[in-house]
Amino acid sequence: MRTLFTFIFALLLASLQAGLLRYLGGGAVSVSLVLPCVVYLGLFAGNVEGAIGAAAIGYLLDLLAGTPKGLMTFLAVGAFLFCRLVAGAVEARSRTAFAVLSGVTSMVVGLGALFLTRLVASAEAAPGGRLVWRMLVEALLTAVLSPIIRAAMRKLDGLFTREEAGLLR
Amino acid sequence: MFGLLKRYRELLLVAVLLLLPLVVYFAHAKRQAELSRFDRTLLWLTSPVAKGIHWTVSGAQRGWYGYVALRHAHEKADGLQRRLDFYELERQQFLQDRAENARLHALLGMAEASPARRYQGARVVGVRLDPKGLQLITIDRGSNDGVGRMMPVVVAKGVVGRVHSVGAGTADVLVISDRNSSIASRVERSRARANVRGTGEPWSCRLDYALRAEDMVEGDLLVTSGTDGVYPRGLPVGKVTHLKRTGYGLYQYAEVVPAVEVTKLEEVLVITSPIDRAEESVDPTPAPTPTPTGTPLPGATPAAAAPGGPGAAVPAAAQASPAAPAAPPAPAAQPAPAPEARR
Repeated sequence: MRTLFTFIFALLLASLQAGLLRYLGGGAVSVSLVLPCVVYLGLFAGNVEGAIGAAAIGYLLDLLAGTPKGLMTFLAVGAFLFCRLVAGAVEARSRTAFAVLSGVTSMVVGLGALFLTRLVASAEAAPGGRLVWRMLVEALLTAVLSPIIRAAMRKLDGLFTREEAGLLR
Repeated sequence: MFGLLKRYRELLLVAVLLLLPLVVYFAHAKRQAELSRFDRTLLWLTSPVAKGIHWTVSGAQRGWYGYVALRHAHEKADGLQRRLDFYELERQQFLQDRAENARLHALLGMAEASPARRYQGARVVGVRLDPKGLQLITIDRGSNDGVGRMMPVVVAKGVVGRVHSVGAGTADVLVISDRNSSIASRVERSRARANVRGTGEPWSCRLDYALRAEDMVEGDLLVTSGTDGVYPRGLPVGKVTHLKRTGYGLYQYAEVVPAVEVTKLEEVLVITSPIDRAEESVDPTPAPTPTPTGTPLPGATPAAAAPGGPGAAVPAAAQASPAAPAAPPAPAAQPAPAPEARR
């Protein structure tokens, strides 16, 4: 159930992103509001639940970005595993660390998409290195906005996590 | 065996979730998959939010510009009235010029033969100019309004792109700056041919298949040639910049600044009537007058370039499938299926 709600929340964020970017620069800069959801899953969800959630969000990204099916799904699950690995090595649950991790993940996913697209696209249609700086801007904006997504995801999590009475926190 | 599977089931599931999409991607990357009913439903679910945001923000803007920003409107109105008087005089002159132009057209036997185009106005309700994916804008008109795939989308300044996918009430438009977009174009001044291809950045495109010998200089305006069967002839595409002509090779290279700023679009027009290829591909410039020896005048563009040359019709498959690798363009004279058939 939590995965379903995460998916619906991601769908809402994606729609919000498309609607708002229309007025904020008209798409001159890009931001990924959905990717911090994957980062959140990597840090706070279980293995199976998180991987399924990440795959579902990736599917949504495939659909909205118009990329061939599977590209963003693979990258989203990869991003989930990447966050899991990072979380195992360093403490990344604080707001600042979450923002940094979201930015880094956005950049990694962007570069991954660039690389995988270049593997299959024809020479004429292959994305060029000039898109890297756009991805960098996207990563920075994603990092800046990610604490808001984290707070919203925590609220969403609160709906499914029952507080144990009597325990001191 | 089952014990092993049971022990590593989480790991296996994650591995499947990771690798399966990769297999699907490599299997289907070269051809665009049709959207399933589920996909269409998901896309449809996103449109009310985008429309809601558009309604809220534009309402607030209307409130601001309709009331608060109307200070000093009287002085502005006086100034505008003076300009209007001046423009009215100019308009009279233009009307006379137009009548003269029509007379000359009739004399040249170039009377309009094609029926008038039909347009569908639409508002931009969402943009997804994602560097990782396609460069799309969402408009608030869909199949219910007669919008179909591959229909050209324009504004007064020039070409915006073409319809990529259509829902009942919305449609996604692949803008010209997308790297999968390729538009057969001509230099307005010299009629030199080339293809304008997107780079993935909203503010720049590049020139493909512009023969080195073609007459082209920086600042030249590129217009659609009409030979790709998607865009009608004569719509502004962009201006040539950063032209590079090396001493060797077949082609010259240039960047193109699109005529339309896709990041500032608010309303667009979808051309819903079919494009008449036969009529569109006719070059409006009279053919070069042959000299007594039968050779064209110097500087005249040859009527048909070598196969695969510039300005050639982009294959329908390459236009229809952004994910598919673009095949080399076919010669302009090659017949292509009617736009209706592609839709």
